[in-house]
Amino acid sequence: MNQNNLARRRLLVAIVAFSGTAAIGLEPRLSLLSRAWAESPAQPDAGVRAAMLRMARLLYPHDALPDSVYAGILDRALSDVAAGADFRKQLDQAAAALDARAGRPWQDLDLAAQIAAMRGIETEAFFVAIENAVRAGIYNDPAFWKHVGYPGPSKGFGGYLHHGAGEIDWLPENL
Amino acid sequence: MAKRYELDDDSVVVVIGSGAGGGTVSNELAQKGIDVVCLEAGNRLTLADVVNDSAVMDQKMGWHDMRLGAPLWICKTVGGTTMRWSGVTPRFRDFEFRSRSTYGALGSTTLIDWPLTLEEIAPYYDKAESKMGVSGTHDMPPSFETSNYKVLKAGGQRVGYREITSARTAINSVARDGRPACQQIGFCWDGCAVGAKWSTLYTEIPKAEETGHFELRIGAMAVKIEHDEKGKVRSVVYADATGALHEQKARAVCVAGNVVETTRLLHNSKSNLFPDGLGNTSGHLGRNYMRHVMNLTLAIMPGEVNFHRGTRQSGIILDEQRQDPARGFAGGYVIETIADQPYSIAAIIGGWGEEAADFMENYANIAGCWITGEDPPQADNRITFHATERDAYGLPVPVVAYSDHPNSAAMRKHAAQRCSALYESLGARRTKNVADIGGGCHNMGVARMSERPADGVTNRFGRVHDIPNLFVSDGSLFSSSAAPNPTLTIVALAIRQVEHIADSMNRREL
Repeated sequence: MNQNNLARRRLLVAIVAFSGTAAIGLEPRLSLLSRAWAESPAQPDAGVRAAMLRMARLLYPHDALPDSVYAGILDRALSDVAAGADFRKQLDQAAAALDARAGRPWQDLDLAAQIAAMRGIETEAFFVAIENAVRAGIYNDPAFWKHVGYPGPSKGFGGYLHHGAGEIDWLPENL
Repeated sequence: MAKRYELDDDSVVVVIGSGAGGGTVSNELAQKGIDVVCLEAGNRLTLADVVNDSAVMDQKMGWHDMRLGAPLWICKTVGGTTMRWSGVTPRFRDFEFRSRSTYGALGSTTLIDWPLTLEEIAPYYDKAESKMGVSGTHDMPPSFETSNYKVLKAGGQRVGYREITSARTAINSVARDGRPACQQIGFCWDGCAVGAKWSTLYTEIPKAEETGHFELRIGAMAVKIEHDEKGKVRSVVYADATGALHEQKARAVCVAGNVVETTRLLHNSKSNLFPDGLGNTSGHLGRNYMRHVMNLTLAIMPGEVNFHRGTRQSGIILDEQRQDPARGFAGGYVIETIADQPYSIAAIIGGWGEEAADFMENYANIAGCWITGEDPPQADNRITFHATERDAYGLPVPVVAYSDHPNSAAMRKHAAQRCSALYESLGARRTKNVADIGGGCHNMGVARMSERPADGVTNRFGRVHDIPNLFVSDGSLFSSSAAPNPTLTIVALAIRQVEHIADSMNRREL
């Protein structure tokens, strides 16, 4: 029983610690909502912000999406209670690294040179973090879904059985 | 009626886990009037909890305890990983049970033949298919033909495949067994919102409860199996949701926690008599971990496919499920349709810039398939335990080691060529092949069945070789991985195991 008691004590301590962490991780969507009135964290300066907005679009360029979609992704990541400060640092690092590559303000370069500078830093951890945030932001956004014809979860209208499942009109007859 | 058993009731069989293996074993035992206590570490969801959103479902039912090494996508919830699966249920073929004899040693592998044949398991495949409502078997029509399947079928025909079918899916193609037909909701890998897809959560578990011979304890994490001085197991120690430990006596124990937890429980149950863990006399416990060779092919087709409209895996091609060394590798693979939400597709194809964005702009035109293929067992693909790290239960943190065998690389290359050719035959504008889609969902082999005790952990019925009343009842049993998705074979083996347990009890051997 000694071993059992020890295991139990460990378990109780760990569960308390674990629940604390889990509670933060559990509600990513709720915390997104609450961010609207969360204290505004320190923002990157205007130059960094403009460069990063440009970079976000060059990461996943979709002409149909307005700048507000890209800006919203940066804002949400910046206002994350747990990771916002780190994200700000990553934006600063990326902007500085791009300027250093360019030898002048990166935004002054032409499109091809801007992309080349991004390729030059794409393996840096700060770049990957921004890339991941923008990718998740764009492709989880119902505005993008609508643009490409995906209406979102179908449970609400009873699935696709009577809403276009199996419809395809271009397959060749002759196989 | 659901029943309650006393902790000191030593007439019960304790089943650990409520997924494909544990849920099936529980219900099959209860149907025979054998009393069962099933310990499930997770919570009990209802169909109302199911939403079409992987991230939300993962928070509700994913297994998030600390683990190191290769990731696994499994569930801590009633129903286990039958709450996260596609329902694809082809049978193994004869040669796949004779893997060592058919393939040879394959260099550094630890291949063995199964200690049973297709002929022996065939009647249990029949029972499993009937239980699960596998489409195209028994009274079930083939599944609805989605547009993604129609593309796979047309391309498959163009490149010469013949065994192409929308059957072999454990999703109701018509209403059956108190569950409705599939509504083609789509993106249902993380739970079917209407219960058309077989999951033990709403089939085996409630059916077991109705017998009056079954108790499900949720939030119950098994931490140790105790045995008597003769080496027969006698109880299971588990932690409840508050962390308090309890000890349930048992007549026999069936372990079905998926490979990591099955290994961990047997390992942590080590004793003076079994110093390396229960079932580890051979040293094979936790070794020979297999997870299938995978390759994903996505293609931008000349017209719209809209692969979000319908089940994720709605049809298969079986022509490559054969042994043919001329292809440059041993074993076979099964080709299956696949579909994913925009973010998942973007994450899978990876990269950034014009090319990645263009692929995503064509989301409506994407068709997709993946393969699951034979993954040869290797001794060092294994589950071990960290020397100092402890998880929330105070248990040693599992470390999962997995690396590819050269046979797998050759198979993947072949599959990428064949699947690309399939889509290109219909005029695909771009194809993309992705080898690593990040994690093991088909987990097999850590307590494998073997004819000789020295070669594995369990015998041909899944009983631990040197412990007469301890059984393993999940995919850990697989002697080799074969090509097909494992769930049908897990269920067939579980049904067969219960027959053996009941017979042994009747003969007073258990």
